[in-house]
Amino acid sequence: MKENHAQEAETASLSQSRSGILWETKPPKVIRHKLDKKLNRWGWKFVALSIVLISIFVFIPMIGALIMSFQTGKGVNIHFGGLTNYQRLLTDQTVRKALGNTIIYLIIQVPIMIIFAMIISVILNDKKLKGRSFFRIAIFLPCITSLVSYSLIMKNIFSNDGLFNQMISHLGLSPILWTTDSFWAKALIIIAITWRWTGYNMIFFLSGMQNIEPSIYEAADIDGANVVQKFTYMTVPLLKPIVLFTSITSTIGTLQLFDEVQNITQGGPANGTVTISQYIYNLCFKYTPNFGYACAVAFIVVILIGVLSMIQMKVGGKDNQ
Amino acid sequence: MKVKQITATLLSAAMLVSMVACSGGSTASSVTGAAASEAASSAAPSAAAGTEAPKKITIWAWDDTFNVKAANEAKAVYAETNPNVTVDVVSMAQNDIVAKLNTAFESGNVDGMPNIVLIEDYRIQNYLKSYPGALSDLSDITKADKFMNYKLKTMTEDGKVYGVPFDSGVANVFYRTDLIEQAGYKTSDMESLTWDKFIEIGKAVKAKTGKAMISVDPSDLGLIRMMMQSAGKWYVDSDGKADIADNAALKEALNIYKKMQTEGITITASGWDAGVAAVNESKVATSVNGCWYASSIKKATDQSGKWAVAAFPKMSNVSGSVNASNCGGASWYVIDKVAGKDDAKDFLSKTFASNTDLLDSLCKDISLVSTYKDAASGKNVNAPDTFFSNQTVYKSFAEWTNNIPAVNYGTSTYDIESKMTEAVQNVIKGTSVDVALKNAQTEVEGIISAAG
Repeated sequence: MKENHAQEAETASLSQSRSGILWETKPPKVIRHKLDKKLNRWGWKFVALSIVLISIFVFIPMIGALIMSFQTGKGVNIHFGGLTNYQRLLTDQTVRKALGNTIIYLIIQVPIMIIFAMIISVILNDKKLKGRSFFRIAIFLPCITSLVSYSLIMKNIFSNDGLFNQMISHLGLSPILWTTDSFWAKALIIIAITWRWTGYNMIFFLSGMQNIEPSIYEAADIDGANVVQKFTYMTVPLLKPIVLFTSITSTIGTLQLFDEVQNITQGGPANGTVTISQYIYNLCFKYTPNFGYACAVAFIVVILIGVLSMIQMKVGGKDNQ
Repeated sequence: MKVKQITATLLSAAMLVSMVACSGGSTASSVTGAAASEAASSAAPSAAAGTEAPKKITIWAWDDTFNVKAANEAKAVYAETNPNVTVDVVSMAQNDIVAKLNTAFESGNVDGMPNIVLIEDYRIQNYLKSYPGALSDLSDITKADKFMNYKLKTMTEDGKVYGVPFDSGVANVFYRTDLIEQAGYKTSDMESLTWDKFIEIGKAVKAKTGKAMISVDPSDLGLIRMMMQSAGKWYVDSDGKADIADNAALKEALNIYKKMQTEGITITASGWDAGVAAVNESKVATSVNGCWYASSIKKATDQSGKWAVAAFPKMSNVSGSVNASNCGGASWYVIDKVAGKDDAKDFLSKTFASNTDLLDSLCKDISLVSTYKDAASGKNVNAPDTFFSNQTVYKSFAEWTNNIPAVNYGTSTYDIESKMTEAVQNVIKGTSVDVALKNAQTEVEGIISAAG
């Protein structure tokens, strides 16, 4: 999933910067010729196919989901229920819990991961470091493992009598109930997704750093800046677009978190780790199916992602426009 | 610019929604993929068989040590008299079966679905009420007077029986005789148990052997469900209305559940496998579960002779609570629109719906406790089991099955249970039972009214 967002956002930022350039330089006034019109017509013809496809596969289902979110009942008893589903949303404790969990994952995991990724990439960007590519590959490798298989391995390691607890019991510490205590279960999910995605974000920072002109660091060296100063006053500000990009994609990824929770804790203990996506899945396929209500919950995610992306663009993206 | 920005954001949000939609689509395509491969595999034997048109039926079940094995034995029995029917038994996780049934019934497209499917009793009411006509009426092969009433009640709708009962889920206490004796109790103490006595023994076990009495899973309230049913109660009343806040049986069950944890006689295990591991690795002295759990306990062959069974403990403070209850249990159903319906019905009528020899040999092979009344006289049912200290366990199971109070499981057991796990955790953390149940009542009403 995340890769797709990456591409999308990349093309989005590309087209943004391109239009930005055009806008700043103010294109010279052109006189419209017949040829132009003809070209335009061809342009539309080329675009038409993708418009049709995206309408069939994206927009129509979206509208269908919106209509469905106003329906209640199940199976053959389904009927228009007005705002019933949305009213139920307001009193549903599990929605609140799922939102709470998702936000906890978001505000704790995303910053940790971004900072980790940045620090690691600074270390690995050092040209004098031996075995640089080995470390890069090693840190990136978790990313190519399957979501399900890595989740199962995490579950194994951190189960109540798993490898981790056996190790700490040899040290004389009491075991941590990773999967049956709701605090530790959340911590486990955060550990798992951080392990999986840090390397992925590191790649963006590395490529970003490669684009920074080395001469400015030389200038800083001459001015006597130390490593920390170079990092905080030069590297971080210069990487701002990358920070913005990685934090938006990670935020979206976290809001859609499903595989890890489903496989490691199944949302338990007692919905202690359940996420919004998982709750939607449960409403459709685990419980008595209630697709109308599930659609209503899904639209919360739409609103959330919209709002969060807007905030992030406002906060981080000004220089980029 | 601002407008552009907002539109861009909204558009990208829209794309993300479509991604969710896409991932839903891939599930559907994997189903058709399975159907295609099934079609391919069915093509192979037909080529080999030659002239006579072979028939084929497919069965889905979920437990390789239990119901899948039963289906395979039934297949062998059926093949003796009906060699031209190929029976394909597919083992699939129960969650996957449920997800596929939900999708198929909702869309009305039964491509790739099996002829016969095993459905848990807790779920069947929903399928019968939400999708009338999706499952075949089996009244002509399931003889109502031949099966136990509490079991038939779950699969009857408008006077028609839609399934063939498979296993009894009669609840009981599996216990380790050696650990109970080390704690200073005898097997006679385990007879006609109450939960107070159970906790008392548990404390002695903990003190003398250091082992827990029972393992609990915070996400699975099987214990509480069993306690409720022992008093003839459920999350919903007989009309399907939410029955939480004023449910004395549920209240007492919660109190007992909490007391077991505060007395320190429990260990927590997350998920099915961890629960089985706790039993097989001698971490607990008892397991209170449905009789079908026997096949999992027997996996630890080194513990043979150390186990025994006792009737389900009753709640002494709740009137009407008896020493019998039920946990789970499932039945066979025929999906109406899948081709081969008559063969599927013929298969069931010659095996699970009437064949006492089959049911008796299943008793030996998979510890099946049948709800078919005539099965109770079988040879294996009345034979002692060496694993369970030479007790005639199956005879006991059959007797207790007779006493199980029948309840209406309603249509939303697992939705409600998910809410209840939260309530139970709140109670364990200190919320009063009354407050927790009152909050849960509102939520459960929400679920039920949304389903109506």
